[in-house]
Amino acid sequence: MLEKVEKLSKPKVATSTDVKKARKRKEILAIIAFIAPALLVYGVYVVYSIFMTFYYSLFDWSGIDNNLVFLGLSNYIELFQDGVFWKSLQNNFLLVAASLLTQLPLGLIMALLLFSPIKGIRFFRSIFFMPFLMSTVAIGILFIFIYDGNFGLLNDLLRMVGLESWQRAWIGTESTAIWAVIATVCWQFAPFYMILFRAAIVGIPEELYEAADIDGANSLQRFKNITFPLLMPIITTSAILSIIGSLKYFDLIYVMTGGGPSNSTELMATYMYKQTFTNFNMGYGSSVSFSMLIIAFIVTIVILFGERRRRGEE
Amino acid sequence: MLKKRQFLVSFMFFVLLFGVVACNSSTETGSDDNSQDTSSEETGSNTETDNSDEENSDGTNEEVTISLWHIETGPSGDAIMQAVERFEEKNPGVTVEVSQQENDPYKSKLSVAMGGGNPPDVFSSWGGGWLEQFVNAGQVKEITNELDTDIYVEAALSAATYDDKVYGAPIGMAVVPVFYNKDIFNEYGIEEPDTFEELKEIIQTLDSNGIIPFTLANQTKWTGSFYLMYLAERIGGPDLFSEAFNRTGRGFDDEAYVEAGHKIQELVELNAFPDGFNGMNYDTGQSRQLLYSGKAGMQIMGNWLVNNVRDEMPEFEEKLDFFLFPAVEGGEGEKNHVVGGVAPVFSVAETSEHPDIAAELVKELASIETSTYMANNAGDISAIKGVTYEDPYTQKISEVLESSEFMQTYYDQTLPPELAQVHLDTTQAIFGLSMTPEEAMAKVEEKAKELLD
Amino acid sequence: MIRKISQMPIYLLAIILLLFTGLPFFIMVNTSFKQQLEFMTSPWSLPESISFSNYALLLELDFTRYFLNSLFLSVASVILVIVLGAMASYPLARLKFRLNKPVFLLFMIGMMIPIHTTLIPIYILTSKMGLYDTLWGLIGPYVAFALPISVIIFTQFMRDIPRELEESAKIDGCGHFRLFWRIIFPLLTPAVATVAIYNFIHIWNEFIFALVLTSSSDVATLPLGLREFYGEFSVNVPGIMAALTLGSLPLLLVYFVAQEKIVKGLAAGSVKG
Repeated sequence: MLEKVEKLSKPKVATSTDVKKARKRKEILAIIAFIAPALLVYGVYVVYSIFMTFYYSLFDWSGIDNNLVFLGLSNYIELFQDGVFWKSLQNNFLLVAASLLTQLPLGLIMALLLFSPIKGIRFFRSIFFMPFLMSTVAIGILFIFIYDGNFGLLNDLLRMVGLESWQRAWIGTESTAIWAVIATVCWQFAPFYMILFRAAIVGIPEELYEAADIDGANSLQRFKNITFPLLMPIITTSAILSIIGSLKYFDLIYVMTGGGPSNSTELMATYMYKQTFTNFNMGYGSSVSFSMLIIAFIVTIVILFGERRRRGEE
Repeated sequence: MLKKRQFLVSFMFFVLLFGVVACNSSTETGSDDNSQDTSSEETGSNTETDNSDEENSDGTNEEVTISLWHIETGPSGDAIMQAVERFEEKNPGVTVEVSQQENDPYKSKLSVAMGGGNPPDVFSSWGGGWLEQFVNAGQVKEITNELDTDIYVEAALSAATYDDKVYGAPIGMAVVPVFYNKDIFNEYGIEEPDTFEELKEIIQTLDSNGIIPFTLANQTKWTGSFYLMYLAERIGGPDLFSEAFNRTGRGFDDEAYVEAGHKIQELVELNAFPDGFNGMNYDTGQSRQLLYSGKAGMQIMGNWLVNNVRDEMPEFEEKLDFFLFPAVEGGEGEKNHVVGGVAPVFSVAETSEHPDIAAELVKELASIETSTYMANNAGDISAIKGVTYEDPYTQKISEVLESSEFMQTYYDQTLPPELAQVHLDTTQAIFGLSMTPEEAMAKVEEKAKELLD
Repeated sequence: MIRKISQMPIYLLAIILLLFTGLPFFIMVNTSFKQQLEFMTSPWSLPESISFSNYALLLELDFTRYFLNSLFLSVASVILVIVLGAMASYPLARLKFRLNKPVFLLFMIGMMIPIHTTLIPIYILTSKMGLYDTLWGLIGPYVAFALPISVIIFTQFMRDIPRELEESAKIDGCGHFRLFWRIIFPLLTPAVATVAIYNFIHIWNEFIFALVLTSSSDVATLPLGLREFYGEFSVNVPGIMAALTLGSLPLLLVYFVAQEKIVKGLAAGSVKG
């Protein structure tokens, strides 16, 4: 890492190679000084755990004794043939799609609303953020009741607007359970993207809008021509965060359905949890975990790639 | 160029991984060595503690700390604290560090502590297949000789006995009757049923009057398992489960099990359960809500239901009564055979530095004082003989257990956890009509073959 | 920024979103004033009489200590994450060196690992460091697992800072450290606010590490304290809602302060621009 700093780092007044070298060394030292503290903490806990996860995934291990039996990649081969794993992977991708299609647009709309000249903006700003601020336990318990088939709030609301035929036990029915849970997850996370987008919009220079005003652009044009293009990088980042978050999602599913009924809301993470802590298959559970990591890694690389190409084309 | 770099990155990542794994196998054995080291140190300190134990009884006060993890709440929690106080009084110099945990997370917490090699000295469980996992992992100390085994009810002690070795001491027991709302039964002139056919008639009566016959929160899964356990016992007789579990005759795919599954689906089709019961959670009280509000007539539940009632809606207790699950015509089971279980069971960790003191603590926890307090304040049936019940309800429920000729312990606690999970999942699927009983039972049997044969 | 179109539809949309996002919070607060029985019989109605007994119970149950523990953990971890994360992001966002991308990806990978498989390794690690059952033992994992998302957000925002600022500072002979702390970091206010909010909320509500890495109630955090409301087969829903309502107040405060900071940053930005 040390010697590899590229020459691109703009040594503008390159007088002699000695100065260049000295500057380069200084730069390298600076880079190390900046990254090392974070990398140390990160390496000790996260990188180490990832290595251990992969290590455990090569064994038949209950997780509660010292008896690790080396299996090689058998856990992965078994995983490959495990119907529940595929089902949960499919649910994860549903969650990914739903998150991208709802969390990001909703977050963007809310962020834009916060820049509109409406009264009581502080109030709106606080309330819009509430879902993200509530603890998952509270959300889980409340939504269990909201979705309840017998006295749930959602069914009450449907009756009020005359949609009795839509009433059902939302998380008790295998076909609707996954959607009910996904909706809750999206609801919870949309405000996070709101603050992310808001912070990014704040960074857009005001002059650009002023110039557009002079040109007589309407607000839609302003959004299309200025805000949206300038937000593209943060949207990409948000998309990555949303995808990775959805691929390893666990909390609300665990609280609300525990993966049921009949695995219909099983996600990779809840399945891993069951294998690890309910079935005492730490080795197999670790192979689920590591597969999750690989899937997320591949997806991320693909997105970064696409982004790079898109930027290259511009 | 870019492509190459991306590829390099991913490649490096995997190289790194394999590299570290390779190093790690040595570190791992290293850490194993370490743990062996510590365990040898432990044995070293054990002998010391043994001495200090004696010194303790002699009156010198060497400080010893024993950690205790349990999951009892409310009056049961008080009973544990009282036992700890009694113990600390009798053993000066010994401090018990009590950590009360929440039921579900406790299971993961204990697993991690066991896997990480640092479990508490004394911990609670339900006996059965769950405890057996830890026993098989060499994490639990045998306490056959430390315990006065004669004081315990045999059925309760057997839940923590494997190969005639006792690994835990039980305090309480529970049985599972069919609870019902007396007012509703009176209103429609319903009598307690003796046969499954009569039960079905009741279901039809209630359903046609707009009352949900059985309230059931089956997201929790073990709640639905009660139905399967009862029906299977009533059809296949008391030996069915032990034959399947011990692999000595009929299996989990036996006709009786399949028939039990069909009967469950018959109930589902009779509209015996509330809408969306497979998504309802017992703990949050969704099923009890229906019972309390008079929207549902019956609930199959452990006798702890009365604790929930006393906490949540005390005035409902006078409407509450119970009968035992009816017999199935032509079946081999009897109406007075009950489903039940044991909780809590206290055990000593193998790695405890003070196993003798820890065993003493277990004895104090699983003593008649504790179980009497629990029986009279938390409605538990005592797992220790000779308790006098003051609470009329507990008295009544304990009589049921005493007069019963056979107790079927909960499958999900008896079976190895992985098989238990399959049993619970498939039973939920039977209830959800998303699996035929034949498929479900074949799946259980397949897992049983894998794990038990 | 949407100035010219009629405001009616905007208000309408804002109010719909208000109900959509705010209702569950309202239900939570509403439930916290009820008794268990009342919640059981009519979960959605307003409380017959506002009862503070659930809140009184919290004080009895030592929630002050849990609260302070959570506060210490969240504040300490968030400060560390901001400092470490922002520093690490600086070279990643603004300097070119060959390992830039790999290091960045390495940080990203940390987001992809499900927390639950890391429990055993981290438990062993924490025990070996002698930090088991201490608050310090939790800060490490909290900071480490918060770094990925923080680094991603920081680098994203740092890339958008105009180069000229840096160039002029460099000509003035500013070293990287002064450049970073004097010029870059102050411009990061929106990102710092966002990272702070995200991580504060996350750590404040964190459960599983706290569960596994501590056991005595001296170091229990707020989410662990909720176990007081769980019976073996029952949950005291109104009690939990009271605890969580109270527990969300600091989060609201942090959010509000951080968002005001962004507004200030906005004002400063337009002057500077």
